Amino acid sequence: MNVLLTHVDYIAAVAIFLVGLYILLVKQNLLKKILGLNIMETAVFAFIVTAGMTDNGVPPLLGPDAVGPFASPLPHALVLTGIVVAVSITALALALIVRVKRECGSVELNELGKVE
Amino acid sequence: MSAAAHGLALVVLVPIVGGALIPALFRRFPTAAWGFALASSALTLAISISLIRRLLAEGPFSYAAGGWPPPYGVALHFDRFGAAIAVFSMITLLVLIFSRRYIPAVVPIARIPLYYALVMINLGGMNGFLVTGDLFNLFVFMEVFSVSAYALVAMARGPQAGLAAIKYLLLGAVSSLLVLFAIGLIFAQTGTLNMADAAGRLDAAASIVPTALALGALTIGFMVKAALFPLHVWLPDAHASAPAPVSALLSAVVVKAGVIGIIRTLQTFSDHGSLQLMPLQSLLIWLGAIAVLWGAVAALVQSDLKRLLAYSTVTNIGYIFIGLGIGSATAASGAAVHIINHAVIKAALFLAAGALIHQSGLRHIDDLRGLGERMPLSALALGVALLAVAGVPPTAGFVGKWQIGLGALETGRPLLMGVVIVGGLLVLTYGVRIINTLFFRPPLHVRVVTSREAPPSMLAAILLLAASSFLLGLAGKPMLDFVAPAILPLTDTG
Repeated sequence: MNVLLTHVDYIAAVAIFLVGLYILLVKQNLLKKILGLNIMETAVFAFIVTAGMTDNGVPPLLGPDAVGPFASPLPHALVLTGIVVAVSITALALALIVRVKRECGSVELNELGKVE
Repeated sequence: MSAAAHGLALVVLVPIVGGALIPALFRRFPTAAWGFALASSALTLAISISLIRRLLAEGPFSYAAGGWPPPYGVALHFDRFGAAIAVFSMITLLVLIFSRRYIPAVVPIARIPLYYALVMINLGGMNGFLVTGDLFNLFVFMEVFSVSAYALVAMARGPQAGLAAIKYLLLGAVSSLLVLFAIGLIFAQTGTLNMADAAGRLDAAASIVPTALALGALTIGFMVKAALFPLHVWLPDAHASAPAPVSALLSAVVVKAGVIGIIRTLQTFSDHGSLQLMPLQSLLIWLGAIAVLWGAVAALVQSDLKRLLAYSTVTNIGYIFIGLGIGSATAASGAAVHIINHAVIKAALFLAAGALIHQSGLRHIDDLRGLGERMPLSALALGVALLAVAGVPPTAGFVGKWQIGLGALETGRPLLMGVVIVGGLLVLTYGVRIINTLFFRPPLHVRVVTSREAPPSMLAAILLLAASSFLLGLAGKPMLDFVAPAILPLTDTG
């Protein structure tokens, strides 16, 4: 139980991740699949940001007198990069969905299976 | 510092910057983009060869990007695995030569610069993935080559391509997120993103659960990228509906990134005291064995030539994972050699098949009857590559498969040797069937009779790759000796 409480951020991140994965696997609508993907991305980013909290850290510029708590800036930079990647994947996916809709006439995968 | 000292950064920057410049420079002269892409990939190849020469002279070396020493900055690291960038650059160069006449026929003229840009960016991402020593950097380069691969699949015309690309994108994006999640876990555990640093500190981590979770997420993530059974479902669609040069790149180069990711993962976690890798390695062996048989049987029943070749990639990835799972010096170095040899063979197969399909306008195997008489060189190249992919002795496919089977025997798994042989025989069955159809059956289709041999630029690439897929088999021993030191950390666990 104690482990569960100290790692509540892990558990929350995994839970949100699984919600996104469920949507992505079960829903047949391509747009909903992209939404599920975005939920998974949010879970991962939230997890990396919470991992940046440091105990007993000392800020490099303000010196030892500054009052905590402090967060490591590195995960923020990581998440910013991650968001850029996620946005570009979403943009590409949406462009592809527009093309699929135009060429196959549907965005529902189960209907697209019949078209083939 | 001279340019040579920055070679490790240049091998990544040249293709990416070159690729990013292409759409801007050649918007008005789309057909001229080919020359520029060719020149920048040739430059990349030259730099990677100079890096290998330095590797042979000095041993593995590192480069601190921006002059920041690790662990603060991003370190690039060149070892014997990194030497694969020379092979991948070479294949990209030949694919570009092949594309010269092929791409204008299948891609709208305004999009030609985009195609060349994506190929170059894909190469840059692969090179970065291979040389980086930083976990987050690994993720970024993985996304660079993955996203460019999704877009490249969508380059083909027709409703199939868009659908295949979005399916590939969805699975690929999930696998990338799993890898990013694992990187986050490792960072939370160790406080470092430097791979060598993290490997050392994982052992001291307080709890084993997050470490095991990270290992699992990394393995599944890279398994999707490598298209290991049962996560290969995206591969046949994507590889069969993409334009031929793109199929060649994806099958030869991009899936290998997943394999190399798995190798890096196993090496990072191998000196972890309390975490046993043995169950994972047994799982890889089992999945690999199923992939060999499933891929071979599925290929046997295909009537579409490119789809058949796509299933052959599933088979060969299975072989590589059997070798990695066994993990003994013999099997693992066999698997590493097979990564390279399969890249060459599969590029030859897809380019030769692309030439046959392009010149005749037919893609069903039965329709291609008698095409060997009309296009003797392309058909011959396809035949040689098919024998090589089956692992017929003096060819390149034999070396890796033989070593993997030998490793299975050495570690007391005769059943696996059986899988290796049966898989090879199944591949040979459809290989002979295609060769028979091309050369020894009378033409059925009127388009076969009117087909002409592929233009010289396409033929040059095909013949060079087919010749290498034969000759690399003769260079088996030096190649095994070359990869042995790189694979060694993996074998310690096996």
